[in-house]
Amino acid sequence: MKDEKQIHRWLNGEMTAQELEAFKATQDYTDYSAIAEYAADLEAPAVNKDDALADLKKRLADREKNKVIKPNFKGFYQAAAILIVLVVSSYFIFFNQSTTVKTKIAETTTTLLPDNSEVVLNAQSKIAYNEKKWKEQRELTLEGEAFFKVTKGSDFEVRTSAGEINVLGTQFNVKNRLNYFEVECFEGRVAVTYNNEEIILTRGNKYRVVNGRAEKIEGLLGTQPSWMMHESSFVAVPLEQVIAEIERQYDLTINASKVDTSALFTGSFTHDDKNIALQSVTIPLGLSYKIDGDKVELYNYEGE
Amino acid sequence: MKKDLQQNLCDEASFNGFYTSYITNAKNFAYYKCGDSDNALDLAQEAFIKIWENCGKIDFTKAKTYLFTTINNLFLNKVKHQKVVLNYKNEYQGPDKTNLSPEFVLEEKEFKTKLQNAIADLTDGQREVFLLNRIDGKKYREIAEMLDISVKAVEKRMSGALKILKEKIPTL
Repeated sequence: MKDEKQIHRWLNGEMTAQELEAFKATQDYTDYSAIAEYAADLEAPAVNKDDALADLKKRLADREKNKVIKPNFKGFYQAAAILIVLVVSSYFIFFNQSTTVKTKIAETTTTLLPDNSEVVLNAQSKIAYNEKKWKEQRELTLEGEAFFKVTKGSDFEVRTSAGEINVLGTQFNVKNRLNYFEVECFEGRVAVTYNNEEIILTRGNKYRVVNGRAEKIEGLLGTQPSWMMHESSFVAVPLEQVIAEIERQYDLTINASKVDTSALFTGSFTHDDKNIALQSVTIPLGLSYKIDGDKVELYNYEGE
Repeated sequence: MKKDLQQNLCDEASFNGFYTSYITNAKNFAYYKCGDSDNALDLAQEAFIKIWENCGKIDFTKAKTYLFTTINNLFLNKVKHQKVVLNYKNEYQGPDKTNLSPEFVLEEKEFKTKLQNAIADLTDGQREVFLLNRIDGKKYREIAEMLDISVKAVEKRMSGALKILKEKIPTL
């Protein structure tokens, strides 16, 4: 290769006709002309431009489709986040859920708490407590009426809509009905907090709030509330509360619109026979009643 | 004019124009690299797809360079290297058509086979430059622009190619 520059000019087609004539006489031309000429006769497979373009469009379309198939990690993370939220919240909902015990009309039930404290629920009542946390915190909420026999131990707390009762180890009854809140202490000492005021009850005492009027009554008989022996006892309680209790024990609807429901009743009624129960409430107050299925109407007894 | 085209590279009609202008060059270039027609078309098509997908980002004046660079990169990434043996267009009779002795025909045949093999033995760089010049009739300047290299580099590859070919092939 003597004159590279000339060779390149030749291959690049830059030579004039004259120059080319001169170049053809050189050794370079002799050496390379055949290579250059024969190489130019090689071919690359031809391309049909239209077919190729159509093929390109098809590939582009396929690519669009394929894009959709790509794994959607965003969705995966969303699903994972939702799952975590579900697991965590279900832990709080199901594992920290409080245990609830409920009674219906004319039903009582006895429940043992995790520390073997005993709760006897009167009709239409409900307690709720957290079984898991019970060891650290003996605390429950009460709606209605219940008798508690508390095993000695740490502070035992009963929360009601009316007030709180704190004890260490004792037996007591709590009755929390509409316009009626009553705590009776049968053993030990009970601290009742009502309206931010703490009252200590000792054995045989009871504290009650009727229609917002609080009073402390001394001298209780027995070692457990009478309702546990299928009887409800009242000392100077307004008739409306007594009627409500009869309704709870017998599943009756009592119409007392014709009588004075604020009259005070002292006495008791049995839970076993509704006629005897109704009589024992109405007769002392000079009332009578008519019974029709589960409907009872009270009226003033006029005699014949 | 160029500016219009640049703005329109995302426009289907002007992209199609760009495609039709360069598909042959692109495919041939890929073919000189990989030596397989189907693979070559795949490479070229993929490079065009990349241009279409990035049409907004590519300067039109650079689109041609981008096309060949992309083919080169795709080739390096995926295509298995194989021997690049090209076929002859027709039974070309050589520069001197009067010299048709049986002896010459035999020599010519031998020469042509040796040339095919020798071209296959060139480096990729040498081969693609040499064939772009010889088959596609590209000027050095055009090749330099396509491959994004200097004209000097093209000359160097051509010289290298010629030297190797000369060594391996007896003078006809």
